[in-house]
Amino acid sequence: MTMPTNGLTVSTATRIPLWKIRLKLAWRATKTSWATFAESPIGLIGLGVIIFFGLFALAHPILMHTVWDSSTYDPQMGYDMEIAFHPANPSARHLLGTDPLGRDILSQLMYSTRYEFVLGILSAVVTVVIATTIGAAAAYYGGLIDAVLMRLADLVIMVPFLPILIVLSSLTEVGMFELALLIGVLSGFGGNTIVIKSQALSVKVKPFIEAARIAGGSDFHIIFTHLIPNLLPIALLYMMFVVTSAIFSEAVLSYFGLTTIRMSWGIMINTAQTQGYLLRFDTWYLLIPASLAITLLCAAFYLVGRALDEVVNPRLRSR
Amino acid sequence: MWKFLGKRLLQMFFTLLLFQAVTYFLIDAQPGDIADLLSHDPSIPPGERDRLRAELGLDRPPLERFVKYIGNFYTGNLGVSFNEYPRQVTDIIKERLPRTLVLFFTASIISFWAGFISGKILAWRRGTFIEYAATIAGVTLYTVFTPWFALMMIWLFSVKLGWLPAGKFLNPEVWITAPVSANAVFGRLIGTGFVGLTVMLGGFIISNQVSRKMRTPLRVASIIVPLSAALLYWSLSGLGIWGGDMLKHLVLPVMTVTLIAYGGNMLLTRTSMLETLREDYILTARAKGLPDKVVRDRHAARNALLPVWTGLVFSIGRSISGGIITETIFSWPGLGLTLLNASLVADIPVAMGALTVIAILTLVSHLVADIGYAFLDPRIRY
Amino acid sequence: MTDNVLEVKNLTMHYMTRKGPVSAVNNVNFSVARGESLGLVGESGCGKTSIALSLLKLLPDNADIKQGQILINSKDIVPLNYAEICKLRWKQISMVFQAAMNALNPVYTVEDQILEAMQEHLPHLSEAEMDRRVDELFKLVGLDPKFKDQYPHQYSGGMRQRAVIAMALSCEPDIIVADEPTTALDVIVQDALLKRIRKIQEKLNMAMIYISHDIAVIAEVSDRMGVMYAGNLIEMASTEAIFHHPIHPYTMGLMSAFPSIVGDKTELTTLPGEPPDLLNPPTGCRYHPRCPYATAICSQEMPEYREHEAQHFAACWHPRGEV
Repeated sequence: MTMPTNGLTVSTATRIPLWKIRLKLAWRATKTSWATFAESPIGLIGLGVIIFFGLFALAHPILMHTVWDSSTYDPQMGYDMEIAFHPANPSARHLLGTDPLGRDILSQLMYSTRYEFVLGILSAVVTVVIATTIGAAAAYYGGLIDAVLMRLADLVIMVPFLPILIVLSSLTEVGMFELALLIGVLSGFGGNTIVIKSQALSVKVKPFIEAARIAGGSDFHIIFTHLIPNLLPIALLYMMFVVTSAIFSEAVLSYFGLTTIRMSWGIMINTAQTQGYLLRFDTWYLLIPASLAITLLCAAFYLVGRALDEVVNPRLRSR
Repeated sequence: MWKFLGKRLLQMFFTLLLFQAVTYFLIDAQPGDIADLLSHDPSIPPGERDRLRAELGLDRPPLERFVKYIGNFYTGNLGVSFNEYPRQVTDIIKERLPRTLVLFFTASIISFWAGFISGKILAWRRGTFIEYAATIAGVTLYTVFTPWFALMMIWLFSVKLGWLPAGKFLNPEVWITAPVSANAVFGRLIGTGFVGLTVMLGGFIISNQVSRKMRTPLRVASIIVPLSAALLYWSLSGLGIWGGDMLKHLVLPVMTVTLIAYGGNMLLTRTSMLETLREDYILTARAKGLPDKVVRDRHAARNALLPVWTGLVFSIGRSISGGIITETIFSWPGLGLTLLNASLVADIPVAMGALTVIAILTLVSHLVADIGYAFLDPRIRY
Repeated sequence: MTDNVLEVKNLTMHYMTRKGPVSAVNNVNFSVARGESLGLVGESGCGKTSIALSLLKLLPDNADIKQGQILINSKDIVPLNYAEICKLRWKQISMVFQAAMNALNPVYTVEDQILEAMQEHLPHLSEAEMDRRVDELFKLVGLDPKFKDQYPHQYSGGMRQRAVIAMALSCEPDIIVADEPTTALDVIVQDALLKRIRKIQEKLNMAMIYISHDIAVIAEVSDRMGVMYAGNLIEMASTEAIFHHPIHPYTMGLMSAFPSIVGDKTELTTLPGEPPDLLNPPTGCRYHPRCPYATAICSQEMPEYREHEAQHFAACWHPRGEV
């Protein structure tokens, strides 16, 4: 049975499965989002830097298994016995020189990269999970739950990250994993929740939520199938900033000597300081590569975040 | 408004209390306590440790100890430092806090003001090369690794150019012959600065009310008069050398923290301006035939200010963290360095005290920011 | 010789977009005499707002006036620079925007925003005189002057619209452009406001261009009417003539789309098809794909905009379906 509509005929006999439609829509949305993202140069630069560091991290095990022998180039245990005096200036053997303990700097840099990524992403994921759930719950239920969660958020925001981390690290052993968890929890319960909650509030009043409720959806179903997917773009956006924050915090804490992490960019600078080489500028390679790496990776995630901001928030676009 | 203030202060108090409870019990939950530390020496008989513990009141139940702690705290007794025994924690904090406050306030105010102005100008010139370059500079300042940045500042201004000292609060050699303590001189510096700035601010505010002709001379006067008065005072009081030495040591830390906070403010202002420019009232302002700068400043920037002011709350957190790092790199003895050193040697009373003071500082800043917002946005009235 | 406040000659304008130039206004010619009220009607996207913005040179950066002249009080404003046009704006020509809800700056009082315009263009007035003027303007648009020191968010929608009109009148312009000023309001407020606008216009002998997609509204306020389609001005005549003797098939279609409350019940007609994509407009007459009377020439050449009857202009190869 076909019905003429405006010159087109629609057959009521075909049925496309729902998941296929959803997939197609998601794919289309991704393509347009990517097109918008790719328009801004900063987003692409940021992404490029991240990919570079990704490859950088991947290159290390390859190099260790092929060109570099582990006794000399191991980032934590290596020692180059052929060079008399460490730290040594950059040379053909050690492209970025060696540190006061005789270890190759380039190797250290590459080795640490993977942990920086892991740290950043783990923190970000923890934050997003917590912040989205809490933000959605606070917005959806309102009332007492909202009040309690918001007061909790106020509590967490109350003191900036660094002092809290400093004091906490003086109390317990803070390794990579604990730090990621800590940062994730602090970010999740803090400022991000408030932002996500206000976004959730504006989604909550949209007609389709009302429709879902009338259709008989349970609270759980509405929150997880309808509310949260609409919060994900903003959550993804703030995830970028959490990564930046995580990498930065770890570097500062390691530099202060408050973590039990064996090797990271922050530890590299800490080594330079404890051995007394920090303020000397003939040994620039002890400070600059690590600092530059931290700055670049943090900046990269921040730029990607900013570019995502333009995708999520159309009013910022330049046209 | 007063009802709001009252409610808010009460809220702040309870949040602070909750915060103190959480930190207290967190620290308490750690294995070991000061009695263990003090009786580490194996030659001390084991009974001594328990006796010490009883004497210090550490065997009482945690809740009772907490209540006692809070009671002490709010009557001004923050305990005694483990590290600098028997110096009072309040004493240490009283000495260090003003220094950090100077650093924090100067950096916050200057970076906000400068960041706002440059952000507003940059957003107006969207698409030009300057905008592009300045945005990159802003992003760099925002994301640069702070310790590295501080070290670079030292290298540039101290090692390479030799203009400013490389760190520390003062130069001990100069101070050998000083007749008064460093704290006294610092106190006077703060006093002079405060009075001078108030006069300057007052002058500027008055200058907005008088006729156009009087405006510029009044503004110039309100800068010159306090400045010369301050210089006169300091040279006459005979403390000029030492005041100047302290001032010299202040410049670099303040500059570092200001630059770091500046990036964030500038970028936020720029984003906010770009959003504001889409509003209909900007088109109306242009249609009214108002000059370009008026549209930008009186209409766009004034509205763009609102989200930036809200963002101040987050910027405060970053300023404090940045301040801590800066104090460390420069070995500048403020509250931040105190916090770090206390944490490194597990001097719990000092660490707790410093952390709580920082928490109070943050809370108060938030309150000021929220009240300020009510003045800026007529749609919000408490 | 009629004293024309505004004359638009051969105005052609593009918007540059990512996909190419969009032809928004194509060879438009019309004039408005002093004290006359002209209505511009057309579907969304037909170019009416673009024309309105051009009259004050408020076009966005990606807009390009390819050719034409816009003469306000006999002075061509197209070649003027920013400083020069600022002097004209609001004093000779002012505008009431669409959705004026947000046309007022939320952080300043309504009074301040009106005073601002006066301080810019009428600096010779004393403070007391300006205050008196604000009160007069408020009364003119039907607002109680005691509200003048309140903020826009404290006003209702209808009040805000009146305030915006008061602001537009503040410097005694020779012509006001009103772009759908009552669209966002409910019908009762709309009716009251329209009557008041008409009264103000007659009292001040002010020229007005009233833009709307609602023909009924235009009919109430305008002496003359212009019909726009896809960037072209396809017909212009007195309101009566447009309603009773439309020439262009599009206008004819518009007129018969209205139910009449007098006379026999006639069938409502609709116009088939959709307005064209202005990125690639149709060749020749832009209406020809939808026109029941179209012939070969309609798809080849753009019809000339000429006077068919006394003071009744149209651009059509087959006026009233004549072949």
